[in-house]
Amino acid sequence: MHSYLQTLEDSDSSKRQAAPEIIWKLGSEILFYHPKSNVETFNTFADQMKNIGVLNYLKISLQHALYLIHHGMLEDASRNLSQAETWRYGEKSSSQEILINLVQAYKGLLEYYSWSKKKMELSQLDKDDYAYSTEAQNIFSHSWKTSVNFSALIKTPGVWDPFVKSYVEMLEFYGDQDGARKVLTNYAYDEKFPSNPNAHIYLYSFLKRAKAPRAELLSVLKILYQIVPSHKLMLEFHVLLRKSEKEEHQKLGLEVLFGLLDFAGCRKNVTAWKYLANYLRQILVKNHLGWVQEEWKTRKSWWPTFHFSYFWAKSDWKEDRDLAYEKAFVAGMLLGKGCRYFRYILKQDHQDQRKKIKRMKKSVKKYSIVKPAV
Amino acid sequence: MDFPSCLRPSLFMTGPLGVSDVPDLSFMCSWRDALTLPESPPQNCKNAVPHLAKALLWEPAMPGPLPLLPPCLDPWDPGVTAQDLLFRGGFHYRRQPQVMLDVTEQLSRFLWDHGDIAFAPLGKMMLENFRLEGGRNRSKKMTVVSAKRLLQDLGGHQPWGCPWAYLSHRLRRFSIVGGPVLGKSVSHLLGGLLHEELATRWEQLLLDEAFTGGALAWIPGRTLQVGQLVYPAGGTLDRLRFQEVSLTSGSDPQVLGDPGCIHLQGPVRQVVTSTVQGETLLAVRSDYHCAVWKMGKRRRPAPLQVLRVEKGATGISLSPHLPGELALCSRSGAVCLWNPQDGLQQVYKDTETLVFRDPSPWRWADFTTHPRVLTVGDRTGVKMIDAQGPPGCGLLLFRAGAEASCQKGERVLLTQYLGPSSPESLPPTLHLICTQFSLYVVDERLPLVPMLKWNHDLPSPALLARLLPPASPGAPHPLFLGGLGGQVQLLHITGKEASAPQLAGPPQSLPSPADSLSAFPLLEPKSQKQLQERLEAPTIGLASAFLPCASTPAVWLFQLSAAGDIFYQHLTLQAASSLHQDSGPPSDSRPDCHAPRATVPPVDQRPIPSWTARATACCSRWLEALLQVPPASPVWAAPTFSHRRLLGRLEPRELEEKVPQVLREAMAGGRLLQQRDLGLLPQAELPPAPEPGLQDELSERLEEAWEGRASAWWRKQQGMASEPGKQAKRPKRRTQLSSTFSSLTSCLDLPNTSSLPPSLERTPSEARVQPPVTPYSQESAQQLWVQGVHSERQQTLRDYMAELPLPKGTPTPGHVPMSPSRASRTQATPSRLPTPGSQPHRKRPRMGF
Repeated sequence: MHSYLQTLEDSDSSKRQAAPEIIWKLGSEILFYHPKSNVETFNTFADQMKNIGVLNYLKISLQHALYLIHHGMLEDASRNLSQAETWRYGEKSSSQEILINLVQAYKGLLEYYSWSKKKMELSQLDKDDYAYSTEAQNIFSHSWKTSVNFSALIKTPGVWDPFVKSYVEMLEFYGDQDGARKVLTNYAYDEKFPSNPNAHIYLYSFLKRAKAPRAELLSVLKILYQIVPSHKLMLEFHVLLRKSEKEEHQKLGLEVLFGLLDFAGCRKNVTAWKYLANYLRQILVKNHLGWVQEEWKTRKSWWPTFHFSYFWAKSDWKEDRDLAYEKAFVAGMLLGKGCRYFRYILKQDHQDQRKKIKRMKKSVKKYSIVKPAV
Repeated sequence: MDFPSCLRPSLFMTGPLGVSDVPDLSFMCSWRDALTLPESPPQNCKNAVPHLAKALLWEPAMPGPLPLLPPCLDPWDPGVTAQDLLFRGGFHYRRQPQVMLDVTEQLSRFLWDHGDIAFAPLGKMMLENFRLEGGRNRSKKMTVVSAKRLLQDLGGHQPWGCPWAYLSHRLRRFSIVGGPVLGKSVSHLLGGLLHEELATRWEQLLLDEAFTGGALAWIPGRTLQVGQLVYPAGGTLDRLRFQEVSLTSGSDPQVLGDPGCIHLQGPVRQVVTSTVQGETLLAVRSDYHCAVWKMGKRRRPAPLQVLRVEKGATGISLSPHLPGELALCSRSGAVCLWNPQDGLQQVYKDTETLVFRDPSPWRWADFTTHPRVLTVGDRTGVKMIDAQGPPGCGLLLFRAGAEASCQKGERVLLTQYLGPSSPESLPPTLHLICTQFSLYVVDERLPLVPMLKWNHDLPSPALLARLLPPASPGAPHPLFLGGLGGQVQLLHITGKEASAPQLAGPPQSLPSPADSLSAFPLLEPKSQKQLQERLEAPTIGLASAFLPCASTPAVWLFQLSAAGDIFYQHLTLQAASSLHQDSGPPSDSRPDCHAPRATVPPVDQRPIPSWTARATACCSRWLEALLQVPPASPVWAAPTFSHRRLLGRLEPRELEEKVPQVLREAMAGGRLLQQRDLGLLPQAELPPAPEPGLQDELSERLEEAWEGRASAWWRKQQGMASEPGKQAKRPKRRTQLSSTFSSLTSCLDLPNTSSLPPSLERTPSEARVQPPVTPYSQESAQQLWVQGVHSERQQTLRDYMAELPLPKGTPTPGHVPMSPSRASRTQATPSRLPTPGSQPHRKRPRMGF
């Protein structure tokens, strides 16, 4: 491209159409990052660019509004979005419709923002106050508009976390539990949507707030476990499973812990190690050696170097003694007392931990899945 | 691990690349990702993000990278360039110029240069039909022809389809009868092979995937300041070097001692290092071999294992979790986990690509946060494979399609696990995926939906990427993205546990080695070109070292070029305050910059870095060493054997001896060399006098019209005007397939001399080769040119023509051979003689297109 402005009048239609987008992209990036640019300059630029080539109007309006939000000018942004919302060009194409939905959703988000601000103010007001009723009325009038704004977009496949979150919050506030549940279930289970962990997390926390039965919670978490076995909710999942009476659930509880600790990012999670140490003991006491062996079979080849190497024993002991203790216990259980990690921690013989270590030594001797050669 | 509690809105569409009618939400600006809606009402700190972002700027200390080591002593040749392969002429009328491989020219060049390969078998086959030795005694056999005669006739033949080439009856007969046989069998086979070769060469030129991942690595040493650079050196990149480098903030890196060297048996394509549990490993990929070393105490590498990859290895990566574990992929589509202790374990094998069919056999494998899950990538997508799971299952992590709103033709060039970086700044689940247009950051917990997409717009394929630890805890990670052409971009990626990864701060473009040209002293054109070629050599490795302990965080970026040179640049993090205040006029305010500065607000008021005296001195030293390097010897030189020994002396040519002598005289006297000095001015040959001008035409027409013969005049005029047009088109119709035979036959359909030689109108570059002469001496100038420049080629041709057969039943030639100097005089006579069986030469084989 020799000259940006020249390209706007290029005789090649495809070039001519692509040009405004490029100019917009470059211009907006520069204006966003330049230390000396200001909102007025950006506004002028955006307003001019909107009207070059009709196809870009919605996109640029949307980004313009985002820019304004970024600079805290929420009212201007809202005005901008309202303008874009009513804009039509030619026959309404599907791509145009999605963009309009998106514009509406962002507008809804802004309304949600002012709504939640009002809600905050309301909570600070005295209920008998004169202002209370007018404020309350205000809030109600908001809700109706916003729900319209959101509902169209969240039916389109995509990731709509902020919209769904605020929509559900508003629905819950007005007591529409079924509506909220429907929205969340649809967001989590619709096959056309990407497998977004957040959808399941939102659903789980909603159910938890609604005090749903444990079975329901478990089924949500089970799906989350399949998608993200490394999520921190897995610890909650484990606790729920441990409490369950079904044997199958208890077995799953062990699997979840092992699964969580497979991930490099969870290597230093003390809680998980603590849970595993306790649960291993509990299970082995109950004589479910088979469960442990089943889990251990696939990990035997790499867990020792991954978790229980000499290097980790040293660094864990240096960084976090609790962690080192829990890990040493698990290592002893799984690898026998000859394991280097276990031996290293044992050797440290620290004053505070002496009692603990003694106990650990005893249970390892008793329950370890590796029987010492006779 | 925490998952970002609120992801950025994005559309999710499935389908093939860039065909669905959905709005492309990735059109959005890079800063869209930095936007967060104020979540809970009192939000005072929402403006903190952009301010932080704007403050992020890594300032290069010099306007360009500087050479770190003296140039490698092996000469370097840039090899085949695009200009060598592309069709040079014609097609100007197209609106959008299309890339076309010039197979015809390549073929004819091949026939010229490698005639031994092209014609030797045929020559051997037809040896009995030629008489190489011997004088006048006529053979009784009609099938035996004297090669001497044929060669004499060929003496004046001009290659490249010259219309004025002289053709004897003997040659004509020979080429007509022999043409179909010779043309077809040789050029069909050769053309096919050559076309195939050209296509692969061209693909290699477009994307040289061999160096994906980069062949330069930085191994941090015992102290932060000292480290080792590991890189291949030598002209063939087969020597693995270990060079200790010491870094101190504020000065140039110091090279410590001589490099250690390991001589390998193949070119090094990729060098990877990783330190796991205190153990540093080094893996190297060559074309058909992979090897692992362990860096022992005192930083000495100890070899662990070498592996032979039958089909060719395309990628190697070291596990960030388990010491000594590697992922390896080969052209056959297999991906293996490799552990020097336990050996190989095949994890995945598929000869087909993941998403849609793509011919490229390139595969890539890397690790994920789960030590037993690998990513497997090809040009169409990236999949996560569980090494312990049943074969064939897995989850697509990235698909070159509508999910990531890819463009049409977008292909994966590089995938990289961003590694278990410090958890407070980036989650350990991120993968970087580069295509030729964009960069994607994908979280393995949310497959198919990129967390971040950014248009990098690098002009060359982005095959190198390096992520650095943050400058300070919690700060964004600098990410270097390098193209094969030397361009490097610097991005800042941030994504605390609970928020999605995003770009922080403006993306920066860093200078490439080619930008350093100004630091070198000006040279004479030839050396300047050599230097420029050297600086513009493709970048095949990228490494960065980080010095966090310095007062201002500093980064060294090392670039390895295909010529074996290492360039470095030093970047320092600009303090936030210095960006916002004016730091005064630039230190080297050039006079031409003043005018625009006064009126237009400057885009950037930071001082432009300029070359220091030390930098230029370093460059001059390097250049001196470079100029000592002998130039690369040409890949191939035309054979210079003589046929004289075989055939006895041909008559010496008067012209050949006379021309240089006259030229020398003219030069000594400072005169212009003119046609008449050579005594060759062909009187009968004068080109037609200039057409009568417009005015004459007008008056002539008026005269005719006055006498009432206007229409007759007009018809005459039209006839005249259309004739030259037709003639001018004829040479264009001729292909450039100037294989020796077709150019022989092609001379037949040239009726007269008024058309220009195609060599003049074909390309400007070819026309430039000719000496600037007056139009009168065009023909002889061309003769000179042909005889001078291409005498070697002519000789080759003569040699091979000597072995061509004369078919049975050809009447014995009674034609008097003409000397080449007289050829130009006789060529005006039309050579379109009625010949029986003159059809075959019409079917000239056209190769390629």
